[in-house]
Amino acid sequence: MKIFDINTAIGHWPFRKLEFESVSELRNVLESHGISRAAAVNTNGIFYKNCHDANLELHSWLQGHEDFFTGIATVNPLYAKWDKDLRESVECLGFKGVRIVPQYHDYELNSVPAAEIADLAAALAIPVFIPQRLVDIRQRHWLDTEKVNDFESVYNFCIRHPDTRIIYTEAVVSAESFNGKEKCPNLFIETSRMRSAYGQQISKLAAVIGAGQLVFGSGAPFKEISPALLKLRNTNLPEAAQKQLAGENALRILNKYHW
Amino acid sequence: MVVNKVTGHYQIIDAHNHVWSKDGKLNIEDMENLLEAAERVGINRLCVSTPLNTPCPKPDEFRKCNDIVFEAMKKTDKFIGFCFVNPGYVRETLDEIQRCVVDGGMAGVKLYHHYFICDPALTPLLEKAAELKIPVLMHAGKVMDTATRLAQPRLSNAEHFIKAAKMFPETIFIQGHIGGGGDWEWNLRMLEDSPANIYLDTSGSVIDGGIVRKTVAALGEDRVLFATDMAFEEGVGKILDAGLSETQMRKIFHDNISGILNRRKVK
Repeated sequence: MKIFDINTAIGHWPFRKLEFESVSELRNVLESHGISRAAAVNTNGIFYKNCHDANLELHSWLQGHEDFFTGIATVNPLYAKWDKDLRESVECLGFKGVRIVPQYHDYELNSVPAAEIADLAAALAIPVFIPQRLVDIRQRHWLDTEKVNDFESVYNFCIRHPDTRIIYTEAVVSAESFNGKEKCPNLFIETSRMRSAYGQQISKLAAVIGAGQLVFGSGAPFKEISPALLKLRNTNLPEAAQKQLAGENALRILNKYHW
Repeated sequence: MVVNKVTGHYQIIDAHNHVWSKDGKLNIEDMENLLEAAERVGINRLCVSTPLNTPCPKPDEFRKCNDIVFEAMKKTDKFIGFCFVNPGYVRETLDEIQRCVVDGGMAGVKLYHHYFICDPALTPLLEKAAELKIPVLMHAGKVMDTATRLAQPRLSNAEHFIKAAKMFPETIFIQGHIGGGGDWEWNLRMLEDSPANIYLDTSGSVIDGGIVRKTVAALGEDRVLFATDMAFEEGVGKILDAGLSETQMRKIFHDNISGILNRRKVK
């Protein structure tokens, strides 16, 4: 089964030394785990005031690795010319999505700046990546944030922007979370933090929203990779649905039509 | 997928897990889910307890918790019972250890965050554990977020364990879940050169890159115990990714906890 990892990062995390930060190291580790392709963000994009420097940096790092990595831009809608930067990231740098981090860039998902990103992403036909968190806040560095993007805020963002595809990474979402809620076909949930063998949280969620709305991610290099692979293997999903989760959905969302 | 490395010819023992109650009885459905998950990731036996997160569990409440564990132990010998107590109730705690460990065949004591592990209130319990040669497993962490700090003001970290281990050198301490959500690097730095009667279990949902490799580097492969605390894929996966030798994996998956459990005076 081919696997597309929707949730990887390159670059420096200032609060804890990561095991590796470079594109070649990340690729080697992913490939050694049997992963075929991956989407990558630049962690520096969280911290540079001018995020676009991180997009340009990511583009240069990915040279020679275009057969494996798909670049995902980072923008801050409170910063000057973010819209120009996003257009350039997609139209000139070839990036296939945009990652936003309201908890670090100091705005709310329920705000005009966030809405503007959603609208431009829809116009550019790219998905918006929203991480629930970057690391477990219980271990936070004293300079790091305690804020997270909870499910309700992300769900409501999706409902307000039905033409924008949202990929909710580092998410923990139960099937019961959708009780009484209208369907949200533009929401895609990354499964690395969800329970699989114990209680079948992933399979139960697939039964409610459809396996077409789940995507595989590892969280590397912040996290080890094998746990996410074990979770994929331990779902009760039929083989066709597992394949969707493993990579077919990611290809479709990122407008990539073949491996 | 390169995830099938658990091929050793030994039993894998989960040193920290739980069974839960429902309407005052063992939650059978949850227990079955637990056993199925364990089987899927290759775990053969599980050390289980039923702790309470309430501020001050009374003796009749912790006795009921241990009755749940007894119920689970009767269902299958895959469960190794740990006796949960609130050590503030000194006499009742010692009576409960007698009932559960000496008379009932449980293998250790499980503590939550009701007292720091080095609190003088624990002295009778820790002396009794040393006498019976049973381990004391405690929920632990160095949490940095406001909500958990407020909710668990007496949560023990490595500094508390070191103090307790020096006061009670004959007692085996298991510091719970290095992946339980707190600042694990801080705990590991503190545990460098720490007393040999402190063990650390690897459980918890945190699977930060390098967490197990650094745990082994800090404590040595003889003082690290494999555990999941219900995070099954996380628990196994982070061991597989730690770059350990077969010998190290065998110690962590089995030999270390087996050695601790075999010390027990009453069988």
